Amino acid sequence: MRRRLGAGFWIAVAWIALVLAAAVLADLLPIARYDETLAGPPQAGPSAAHPFGTDGLGRDVLSRVVHGARVSLGVGIGAVVLGLAIGAPLGVLAGYRRRAADAVIMAVNDVALAFPALVFALAVVAFAGASLRNVLVVLGVLGVPAWTRLIRGATLSFAEREFVLAARVLGVRDRRILWREIMPNVAVPAASYAFVGMAVVVVAEGSLAFLGLSVQAPTPTWGGLINEGRALMETAPHVVLAPSVVMFLTVLSFNLVGDRLRAAGDVRPSGLEPTRQAPAVLPSAGPRPLTGALLQVDDLRTHFLTPRGPVKAVDGVSFTLERGRTLAVVGESGSGKSMLIRSVLGLLPGAGVARGGHVHLGGDELTAFTPERMRQVLGRRLGAVFQDPMTALNPVRTIGAQVAEPLRVHLGMSRRQAREEAARLLASVGIPDPARTLGRYPHQLSGGMRQRVTIAMALSCGPDVLFADEPTTALDVTVQDQVLRLVHRLREERDMAVVLVSHDLSVVRQWADEVIVMYAGKVVERGPAADVFERTRMPYTEALLQAAPRLTDPAHHRLRVIPGRPPDLAAVPDGCAFRPRCAYARDRCAEQAPPLVAEGGHLHACWHPVGRTMTESEGADSHGR
Amino acid sequence: MIVLHRLARLVIVLLVVTFLSYVMLALLPGDPVTQILGIGADEEARARLRQELGLDEPLLVRYAGWLGDLLTGDFGTSPITRTPVAGELAERLPVTLELLVAAQVVALGLAVPVGIAAARRAGRALDQALTVLSFALLSTPVFVLGVLLILLFAVTWQVVPATGWTPISVDLGWNITSVLLPAVTLGCGQLAVYARLLRADLIATLQEDYITLARARGLSPRRILWRHALRPSAISLITAVGLNMGALIGGTVIIETLFGLPGIGRLIVDSIFSRDHLTVQGGVVLISVGYVLVNFAVDVVYAAVDPRIRRA
Repeated sequence: MRRRLGAGFWIAVAWIALVLAAAVLADLLPIARYDETLAGPPQAGPSAAHPFGTDGLGRDVLSRVVHGARVSLGVGIGAVVLGLAIGAPLGVLAGYRRRAADAVIMAVNDVALAFPALVFALAVVAFAGASLRNVLVVLGVLGVPAWTRLIRGATLSFAEREFVLAARVLGVRDRRILWREIMPNVAVPAASYAFVGMAVVVVAEGSLAFLGLSVQAPTPTWGGLINEGRALMETAPHVVLAPSVVMFLTVLSFNLVGDRLRAAGDVRPSGLEPTRQAPAVLPSAGPRPLTGALLQVDDLRTHFLTPRGPVKAVDGVSFTLERGRTLAVVGESGSGKSMLIRSVLGLLPGAGVARGGHVHLGGDELTAFTPERMRQVLGRRLGAVFQDPMTALNPVRTIGAQVAEPLRVHLGMSRRQAREEAARLLASVGIPDPARTLGRYPHQLSGGMRQRVTIAMALSCGPDVLFADEPTTALDVTVQDQVLRLVHRLREERDMAVVLVSHDLSVVRQWADEVIVMYAGKVVERGPAADVFERTRMPYTEALLQAAPRLTDPAHHRLRVIPGRPPDLAAVPDGCAFRPRCAYARDRCAEQAPPLVAEGGHLHACWHPVGRTMTESEGADSHGR
Repeated sequence: MIVLHRLARLVIVLLVVTFLSYVMLALLPGDPVTQILGIGADEEARARLRQELGLDEPLLVRYAGWLGDLLTGDFGTSPITRTPVAGELAERLPVTLELLVAAQVVALGLAVPVGIAAARRAGRALDQALTVLSFALLSTPVFVLGVLLILLFAVTWQVVPATGWTPISVDLGWNITSVLLPAVTLGCGQLAVYARLLRADLIATLQEDYITLARARGLSPRRILWRHALRPSAISLITAVGLNMGALIGGTVIIETLFGLPGIGRLIVDSIFSRDHLTVQGGVVLISVGYVLVNFAVDVVYAAVDPRIRRA
C-alpha cells in the first residue's frame, strides 16, 4: 500500500529540475557572463535587467549563481554516483555474506565515525589542489562508509525474509537471488538516500568553497559567492542573500525528495500520520433509568474513523454490574472486548474516534465528566489490569516508584507512608520479600510477579471495580490459576466488582457470575454464567464452547474449530454479523440483524437460537434441533 | 568486562585514526620544506632542513616516533611556527569546548520542550509547523545560517558583535555575548535532529501499555509525559548527542572561521593553508579523542537512563 508523495514532493522535484536545467544551459541563457564586470552598476539591487542584482564589481549575481550551480550539482551528482558505485557492492556483500564481512564493516564504521571527515577533505583539497575533480573524489570517497552501511542494512533486512530464505533453500544461485530478490527491494532506500546524500554533498562542497577550498576563482561556487557577499552585507545584502536562498532551497528540495521516497517505500504504517478528525459524539439512546447498580453501561459505542469508513469496535453495548460479582466478557480476538474496557474507562485516543452512550458509576455519569474529574475516578474508583505484564510496567522506573505513585497522587501520602503502604500492597498480592522488591526494576521480575505488581497497583487506592483485560493470557498455565485465585480473593476481601475479559472459557466457567459474549462489537448473548454455559442460545457461543477443550472430554475427542474468521469491522455484513460462519443461518439472518431479546435475565441476539426443545418452540420458526 | 572491551576498541580506533591521518597527510603533495624555504631554495639547504625536521626517515619510523612522543603528551613542534603544537592546542581548546557545550545547551534546551510539545499534539497544527520548521533548519547549511543570523542580529539590529572573541577570564558578560550567535548557529542544525528524534520516540512510547495503564490510574498528562514517557524515549536522543559530536566538531571549523573565534577549528584551517602538517595532525588527534570519549560517556549515561542495559 503506497502512500501519495504529496504536492511538496513535486514542487521540490520541479525546483531541482529548474536548477539542473539552468546549470546545464547556463551558457545559452540570455544573461550576462558570470565574469563580466560592470554588466550593471556595482552593488545595484534587483532589477529587470539583473533579477538578483549585481555584486561589488557590477557582475550579474543571477549569472554567477547559475554558474555556481554547475559546480554544486556536478559535485553533488558525481560524488553520490562515486559513493554508490563503491559502497553498494560492499554493502550488499556485507549484508548477504554476514559474519566476517560484518565485523570488518563495523570496525571501519567505528573509525569512519571518529574520523573528522571535513578536516580530512580540507587537507586533501588544500594539498592536492582545489580542482573540481579532487573535490568530487574526496567527497565521494568520504560518502562510502555511509553508503555501505545503508545498503548493508537494507540487504540484511531482506536477506532474512522468507522469500529469500526459501530461494536459498531451493538452491537458487546467490547471484540470481541478489539480482532477482534483493536488488529491487534495496533500490528504494538507495534512491531515497541518493537524494539525501546529494544534499549532504552540496552542503559539504559549499563548506569547502566557503573556506576557499573548492573550485577556484574565477569560476563561481555557491559557498564562494556567500563568502564574497559577506563583505558587502551592510551595503548590498542581496549579494549574499541570493546564493544563500538558492542553496537553501536546493538542499531543502533534495532532503524533501529523499524523505518522501523513504516514506513511500516504507510499507509499514508508521502510525504517525496526522489525523484530522476531531472526536465526535455518536447518537445513542438516552440513558435508561438508573437501576441502582454499582456500574451501569448503556448503549456504549466506540467507532474509529478510518479512511475505509468507521470501524465499529464497540457498537451499542449495555450491562449492569453489582458489588461482589464478577462479569466475564468473552469472544474471539478482535470482537471488541478490550475496546469495551477502554471505552468504559475513557482511555481512547483523542482524535479519530467517535463515541456514544452512557456509563454510570454509583450514580455518577462518567461519560459526562471532564478529563480532570475523570482522573479523580480512575485509579481511585476504577482499577485496571492489562494482558501483558511485560509491557504493563514502565521499564525504567522501580517497582516502588510505580506502586507508590497513585498513593501519593490520589491519597496524598508522604513518601514514607506511600512506601510502607506499597510494601503492604505487594505482600497482599503474594509477593515474597516486598521491601526488596520495591527497589527492583520490572525486568528483574518474572511475568507472574509482574502481573501481581500490576494488580497491586490497580488496587492501591481501593477501587470499586477492577477491570482485568485478559490478565492471565501471557502467563504460564501454573501461574494463571494463582493470579485468578488472587483476584477472586481480593474481590471477596474488598467487596469489589470485577470485569474479567477472557477468551479462555474454562477460566470464565470457574470464576464468572455473569457472562457477556461479544461478536463484531456487539453483545450477542448475556446472562448468568450458568445459563449461558448450560442453556446456550446463540450459535456463536455454542461454537466457542465446542472449540474449547475440556478435561472431561474423552481421549481423541475432536475439537471443533469455528470456520471462517471474524468480520472486518469496517465492513460488517448486513443482517446478523455471524451469519457467514453460522451452520444454522437462514435467509432471514442475511436480511435483518437480530435484536437482543430477553428470556428472563438471559439475553441473546439470534433469529434461530439453539438448545430450544420442540415443546417450547415457537411453531413454524422452529427447525427441530 | 564490558568496560575493558570498549576501552580496547577505543584504543584500536584511535590507533587507526592517527595512523591513517598521519600517512595521508604525509603522502599528500605540499611540502613544509618548500613552505619554509620558498621555491627558490637550493637543494643542499632543503636536504639539511629535511634532516633537521626528521623528514628523511621512513614514514613508519616517523609515525612510531610521533606516536611515542604523543603518549608522553608531546605533540611535536611545528616547523612553521617553531612553537610546540601541544601549547597551541591547549590555548585554543577552551574556546572550542565552550562553543560546543553552548551549542549543545542551545540545541537540547530547545529540542526537549519542542519535541515534547510536538509529540503531545501529534498531527495537529503546532506539530506540523514544528515538523516543517525542523526540516527547514536541517536543510540550512551552517554557514548560510550563520551569515543570515549575522545579517539580522549583528548588521541590521546590532544586538551582538558580528565577530570576535572575549575569553571568560576577561569579561563574563562579553564572553557570553560573543559565544551566543556562534552557538545558536551551530546548535540549530542539531536542534532539528534532536527534536525530530525525541518527537518520534515519544509518540511511540505514548502508545505503550504502561502509558495507557498510567492514564488508567488517573495520573495527569503532564505527570505521565515527564515522569513516565520522557526517560524511556531519551535513548535515541542520547545516542544522537554522541554520534553528532562529529558533525558538530566539523561545524566548528566553519563557525570559528565565520565568526573569527580563535579555536581549534580555526587553527586547523590556518595550519592547512600554511602546510603545517604537525599542527593539523595534532588537531585531528584531539578531535578523534574527544569524539571517542564523548561516545564512551554516552554508553555510561545509557545505563543510568535505562536499567535494562546495566546487566548487559
